[in-house]
Amino acid sequence: MAELILPDSRRCHYFFLYDGSKVRGEDDPTRKGICYFYPEETPLDKQDLLCSQLAGVGRCVSELSSSQVSTLRLRRCKFAIRMKDDFFWALGCSVDTPTVSVCELLHQLINLFCFYNGPVRMSYELNSRETLATGWTCFLSHLLSAQSPLHYIFSCLRTMDLTNVDPLLLLKAALILQACQRCPLVLAGCIIFKGRVVSTQLSPELTMKVMVHEREMFNKAQRTNGTSAPGSFGCAVSSTGVFLSPPELQNLRSPPVNKDSSSHSSIQKDAMPRRSRLSRTLSDTPSSEPEPSDPTSPHSSQMLSVHPHWSELDNSVFSPAPTQSAAGSTTCSPQAQRPSSSQRRNSHKAEEETLHKSYYQSFHDSTRGVRQIEGEESSTCEGNLHLNGGDGACETEFDFSGPTANVKTVSGDNEASCRSIKDHMTEVKHLTLPHPQTLESNEQNSLIAMTLYVHRVNSLVLALLVEPHFLNDTTSIEEVYHSSLASLNGLEAHLHTISPAAPEPAGQYLFAHYDCIQNTLTTNVSGRAVGAPEHPFVRATSLLHSHFCSTETLQEAIIRSAGTAVYGTRNVAQETFFQQLGGPPRNSGIPNHQDSAFSLPSKARHRLLKHGVNLL
Amino acid sequence: MKCLLIASESAEILFHWTDQEFQQNVQEKYSSSQEEGEGLPAFEDIISTLFAPIIISCGTMVYRQGDSYTSFTTENNHIYALCQFDECLYIAVNGDGEEKEDDLRRKLYVLRKITEVMFGMVTLSGSLLRKELRPQDTEQRVRLWKHLQSLVETYNYLRESDQSFLVEAVERLIHPTLCEQCIEFLERRLVQQINSSSLVERAGEEVLHTFILVHTKLLAFYSSRTASTLNTSDLLTLIIMAQNMYPSNVELDEPSPEVQPPISYSKIIYNYLEVPALHCINILSMAEDSLHTLDIGPPDPSTPRRVFLELKDGQLPMVPHSMYCLPLWPGITLVLLTKVPNIQITRSVYSFLEDFTKLEKCLNEGQAGSGAARGQLNMHNTRSKLDKFIRDLGPSELQLLNVWTEFKNRAFTRGGSGLIPLCKSMKTRLCSLYRQRFLTDTGSSDGPRCLSPALQERAQTMVQEKLMDWKDFLLVKSKRNITMVSYPLQKEEFPGLVHFIWVDRSSGQIIAPSLNITERTTSELGKGPVARYIKSKVWGLVRTTRQYLRKGYSTVTLRDGDFYFCYFLWFENENGYKLEAGDIPILPDDSPPIGMLGYDYYRKLLRYYGKNHQGEAVKCYELLTVHLGVIPTEIILQHCRQLASKLWEPSRNPLL
Repeated sequence: MAELILPDSRRCHYFFLYDGSKVRGEDDPTRKGICYFYPEETPLDKQDLLCSQLAGVGRCVSELSSSQVSTLRLRRCKFAIRMKDDFFWALGCSVDTPTVSVCELLHQLINLFCFYNGPVRMSYELNSRETLATGWTCFLSHLLSAQSPLHYIFSCLRTMDLTNVDPLLLLKAALILQACQRCPLVLAGCIIFKGRVVSTQLSPELTMKVMVHEREMFNKAQRTNGTSAPGSFGCAVSSTGVFLSPPELQNLRSPPVNKDSSSHSSIQKDAMPRRSRLSRTLSDTPSSEPEPSDPTSPHSSQMLSVHPHWSELDNSVFSPAPTQSAAGSTTCSPQAQRPSSSQRRNSHKAEEETLHKSYYQSFHDSTRGVRQIEGEESSTCEGNLHLNGGDGACETEFDFSGPTANVKTVSGDNEASCRSIKDHMTEVKHLTLPHPQTLESNEQNSLIAMTLYVHRVNSLVLALLVEPHFLNDTTSIEEVYHSSLASLNGLEAHLHTISPAAPEPAGQYLFAHYDCIQNTLTTNVSGRAVGAPEHPFVRATSLLHSHFCSTETLQEAIIRSAGTAVYGTRNVAQETFFQQLGGPPRNSGIPNHQDSAFSLPSKARHRLLKHGVNLL
Repeated sequence: MKCLLIASESAEILFHWTDQEFQQNVQEKYSSSQEEGEGLPAFEDIISTLFAPIIISCGTMVYRQGDSYTSFTTENNHIYALCQFDECLYIAVNGDGEEKEDDLRRKLYVLRKITEVMFGMVTLSGSLLRKELRPQDTEQRVRLWKHLQSLVETYNYLRESDQSFLVEAVERLIHPTLCEQCIEFLERRLVQQINSSSLVERAGEEVLHTFILVHTKLLAFYSSRTASTLNTSDLLTLIIMAQNMYPSNVELDEPSPEVQPPISYSKIIYNYLEVPALHCINILSMAEDSLHTLDIGPPDPSTPRRVFLELKDGQLPMVPHSMYCLPLWPGITLVLLTKVPNIQITRSVYSFLEDFTKLEKCLNEGQAGSGAARGQLNMHNTRSKLDKFIRDLGPSELQLLNVWTEFKNRAFTRGGSGLIPLCKSMKTRLCSLYRQRFLTDTGSSDGPRCLSPALQERAQTMVQEKLMDWKDFLLVKSKRNITMVSYPLQKEEFPGLVHFIWVDRSSGQIIAPSLNITERTTSELGKGPVARYIKSKVWGLVRTTRQYLRKGYSTVTLRDGDFYFCYFLWFENENGYKLEAGDIPILPDDSPPIGMLGYDYYRKLLRYYGKNHQGEAVKCYELLTVHLGVIPTEIILQHCRQLASKLWEPSRNPLL
């Protein structure tokens, strides 16, 4: 990853996990219950104070209201709270961070932990606090190292600047992913370049989780290799155990490809899928975009040139891949029905459950390799765990160094290869797989063990979620490896040549376009500049975003202070924010239709077209 | 599911108010945790037990972390707002979704304001306020709490139903001729007659302000030439108190809107006690309770209420006045505010309190610099003044003298160590003196000190006679002060305009069409649900625009569902010249509420803005509009502009 942005310490003041079950008696010291505290250098008595007071007040309020505390605010700090079983999480940010963002961050943080470690109670039974602390630190720094303050507010994925990438490369990336899926043990995956998503078949939440591992591997490698370039560790293939919730897995196991679908082109025209998780780059079409029906008109030809997605769509008619994308999007994009990010947050679980049921029947009968899932789930899990000896370590490394890919796994009996990969294993040692028995016992929060397969080619990473027994299936591994290696090399080489987007000329405007469904952000607000000219925009955006989240019916807003006027608009899938720089001419604030603030909507419509944002 | 409470640092409940639902909920919770057979303890004790951990933790956080809780939310959307005022912690809870955090914080500030108006400078001493709010005598405590609880309920009701309490500005009845006549009458006849009556008859008091309320709206307001302006915050609080004494019954059947003055509608019975309206039941039962048990206030209107009001634009806060609420007819009330004798003490006590507070702060900040601090504060000056003050008080104030002597010994001879506790006790003694003079000493051996009942009755009769022919008109007018089809608006002129609120923040006045949402009346907003929906939108809009104003945004337009909302705040000079928009301070979320009742945000804003406009009287205006969403934005903005200039006119009207 080219840019390693250090977490902005001001963004997060505190984070801690407190285990109330460890502090039952009067004599039990508070610190017995502190599982993790950030910043770690905080004096112990202050840790004690915050943990005991916040957890105490949290419990008291929960009892009074018969419901768990979700936020807790102090004059100088704002905490998102999660209480589960006896655990108490608190994430404290500065008071000007929108409350929705703080809550979302905490949600992501806990989910990340569970993704790599499994249920929390179980992880803490199996591992030492120190081991798990490394995990928390890593996840926290990942979440806090947002590209820009705006990424932090929206807590969105880092993506390539798609306007800057040849659409064919995106198509290629999508094809690589689809090629991997030919192996029935591969569920879905994503391709990441320098820490940014190029193409993904996973939900935004899962993509985010997968990226953490990739980044961590990369960081570790950099550290161990000193200052040498990332290329020095060449093609490394590794894997790690991960945990998916049943709905997540359900979506992944749904048949990603409906090979029988023949009327794809008509489907695409009629039931224009708004986006597809299967291959984001292929069908990522802004919903409000007009039909590119008439390529002869100057307008639409311009559209074609500025919107890579459209040219891909046209390609799709003659390439086999889009068929899959179209069908896949209907099968495994339950999020397509989610109207807004706020709804997504609120009704997350309920929705997933219902979708779980409804998609289950319709798609599981017609699949090729997927059998009755529910019967299979446990058996695959167990199978895998047995093979790993059930000793908690599930790290696998592959050595494809030779020309004829020599595949070795930890669970295999090739001792030499085991030794050869020891070094790599330590990199991900803290990501350990818990005991299978405990997994099953936790019914309420059953997480299913799966495997994350990662193939790195210099700065490019192919990450695939695979069935656990994929690691024992030498044929599959070889197949996946070989089918993707050449393409990955090619893609990497091409992506490498792309010069980073030239910084916007000292802009006339600032904008941010947030896709609530894909959880991505397009903006010309640069990452590092916490500079004065952008600050008012960020502040206004965060206010408006909170307002959009809390008021379903709100469609657009213009807010103006003495020096700044910001326009925000949203539909079910997107939020867009726009500010004309140079400042509105001084005015009295009295209603005046000639006021420049009120021309912002039309300016935004025009200016943002070239960024692929259509507000018409 | 609502609750409001004041707690001392030691987690003692100084006051609480809960609605039925909250009380039931808490009792159920408590009884489930109790063992079989045990009776349920007093509700106050339950509340105290349940909230104690929160209150104590608050104290710990302040003490050890230097930070305090401001709010909690839970997953089922319960909201807790917390405010620390001096040594007391105020907590408001909502569990029914009807109030947002801002509403809760506002409620806390209003409760604080009410205690200030009721107890004056006693609120500046934690220990005295504790005694005042929680009298030892149970019966007395019950009486006081009932009174405070009914004030809280009256405020809750007004904020939910009355636009003037929504935006916290006073609404006047728009009838220039009648208003002018009434003002003249108040000045030439009423005030003159009372103030020129014998000193004994008026017990040395002097009428400073008088006003006539029709429900919550002001018909006429007159201030004597010697009086300083009554600020909006105090006036609104007085209206709450008057409404609490004589609740108006808005849900009652209304006469038809075609009524023209002065037609008498004798058939309409405005007997609020006989026809209890739904929303009034609580208030009324509360009021009735207080009628029986309170020896001050109604039903004997001749006993005035002691109120503490601000003078000179806040420079001299909490000066004692007497408030006489004389009911003319149900819904129409005459209020007299009189100056009580010997208020010079207030000024001195306040300045001494300020000195000691400053000194205490200096001492807290740097022990070493206490000498410098004393010099800076000019304690020697204070010393001579306080010496004289105590001498003039005479020998009765022995305790104050003792503490002062000890303080002098420490401060001026022994190098000034250990002064902080002495500062505190000096403040307590001063407050105690003030309390004794103005709060408890209402009656002496020669009868109560107030306007004689005969004088009050005369005043009441005079105004009744004056308004006899108008009363029915006034009662109708108060419900339909401005309608969207009448003055000053013609529907043809503003197609698509659904509602607007215009506020002059410099004088704290609101102009807005009436929003009647009763089932029986049909306004141009339609009946029942539609009107209620629009009302909820307006209430929500005010809440939203305040959030943006708090963050420095003075213009907001929103497209929300089928409506288009606009909000503008701007400044003008006295001649109506529009001043350039200035930066508005950005405040944290837990800053005092934006409004004029519990905390006068706009006065602070005007001062802040006025810094760059020295020598100019700056005015501040707000306009909120609700349009149908189908109207083009361009047209909507033109409407707003026209409205702003049209409404500019009536505010110039010399209604005063």
